[in-house]
Amino acid sequence: MNQRRERILDEDAASQWIESGMTIAIGQPTPMALVRSLIRRGVKNLTVVDAGFSLDLLVAARCVRKVVSYYAGGGFGNPVTPAFRRAAESREIEVWECEEGILCAGLQAAAQALPFLPWRGGVGTSIPEVNRDLKIFKDPISGETLIAVPPIKPDVAILHAAHADAYGNVQHIGGPGWIDLFMYRAADRTIVQVEKIISNEEVRADGWKTTIPAADAIVRAPFGAHPFYSRGYYLQDNDHLREYNDAANSAGRGESKSLDAYLDRYCREPVALGDYLERVGIKRLLALHEY
Amino acid sequence: MDASYTIPELMTVFLARELNDGETLRVGVASPVPEAAVRLAHLTHGPNMELVFLGARMNVAHLDTIPMPAYGWDRRVVRWAESYSDTGHRFDRVKDWSKHVFFIGGVQVDAFGNTNLIGIGSDYQRLKFRGPGSVGTPTLSTHVGRYYIVLNSHSPRVLVERCDYVSAYGWGTGGADARTKLGLPGGGPRLCVTPLAVMDFAEDSRRMRLKSVHPGVSIDTVRRETGFELIIPASVPETAPPSTEELQALRTRVDLDGRLRR
Repeated sequence: MNQRRERILDEDAASQWIESGMTIAIGQPTPMALVRSLIRRGVKNLTVVDAGFSLDLLVAARCVRKVVSYYAGGGFGNPVTPAFRRAAESREIEVWECEEGILCAGLQAAAQALPFLPWRGGVGTSIPEVNRDLKIFKDPISGETLIAVPPIKPDVAILHAAHADAYGNVQHIGGPGWIDLFMYRAADRTIVQVEKIISNEEVRADGWKTTIPAADAIVRAPFGAHPFYSRGYYLQDNDHLREYNDAANSAGRGESKSLDAYLDRYCREPVALGDYLERVGIKRLLALHEY
Repeated sequence: MDASYTIPELMTVFLARELNDGETLRVGVASPVPEAAVRLAHLTHGPNMELVFLGARMNVAHLDTIPMPAYGWDRRVVRWAESYSDTGHRFDRVKDWSKHVFFIGGVQVDAFGNTNLIGIGSDYQRLKFRGPGSVGTPTLSTHVGRYYIVLNSHSPRVLVERCDYVSAYGWGTGGADARTKLGLPGGGPRLCVTPLAVMDFAEDSRRMRLKSVHPGVSIDTVRRETGFELIIPASVPETAPPSTEELQALRTRVDLDGRLRR
């Protein structure tokens, strides 16, 4: 029979696409169900394009070798997220120093199969000095000083969105993430976890709403961005993030017990998203609905 | 005059006065003084300002109050945005940014207004302090018409002769042509505002120069707390404190939970 292939995978099958040593890009809203599955599986030596607490969690769980990040800001009184700071200062991870414009130029270069794209932001700074992959050059048209940004090409991009149909057509609520579309275009393959699977008819009713066409895999993951927000569904769980932050801060001071306990309780022991959500608790989850 | 203001309130009101109607004000995360200042300016004298918080662009001059975000970046605050742009598209019209204003912080700021968010330590491979990273500040500082360096502490540890690493280029190693010779189109840092004083940059050398000291702060204190030789003019005025009206507007229309008073 002439039947179109569906792209829905379960969390575990999708996670298997990511192997130790790969480069992955992590979008925002944050695909935490998939992030936790990487920790559960003990994936190692990843190069990670990400920012903030999801990056910090992967670093804390020792899944990361190299970080491509413009921002590891802390919140909750930290100027820098705790595990990232400890791992960068102790050289456990390598940092590919960049900033938002440079990162997007690199992802765009990968998407367009170009050897580099030029960028001006960063000229005069230390960024091209400490990141030797970035080259200062004189542009051949008018002789301006610019930075050549090489392609940043993830093996897999993992993203979280509101809705998708079975064929990988993704529709966001309230906009397509922050760098997500750039990550999707640059990556070899993209996995999108969603709050809800919708019908193909609903997608075709307004194809302009589709933000990511033909994602390679769709994972059904209600509340799958917790403890982060998911637009149109729930807000960030600051109490939970604070719990992680405190644990990671103590680990930075050499007491790793509470961080180990956090990782066991929320990342390693739950075998799937449902088990994790059970540990978070229905009351907490329901309290996070927008307004 | 109301003598009960705090230093963050004084800094906020000072910055709000610096902002002109019609300008686009770009604010990053976790910087309460600029976050409050753009809201105050918008409500008091900037009905045609555009406030851009990360990618959310808004004009809410019709509101009575514009509260501060509950945390780092609480997206509910920008529910009133008229448009959004994602990080990748935020820089699509930098050619038009001569009327855009930006605010920047740093773990170090040097005598020529360069700022550092990368880290501290002479060996990049062995940083003593790993900073959060440059966010979008290299690109923003390259293109905006002017920007303000806003610090929540004024000490020789933060204000240094030369940053260990530069993440946003201010006036480089000095000179009026420091930016044009690199082809940087934006106007560079205008002022540096700290809990002790306001500094600008000398027209010829572009070295930091004391502009005003906050009430009760001596020039000697500023000199002692600055890790480089500041240009000190013959006469240095006091920073004009907030008026009763300004302070009332700030407290009842912007800083509703009083975080600038804590």
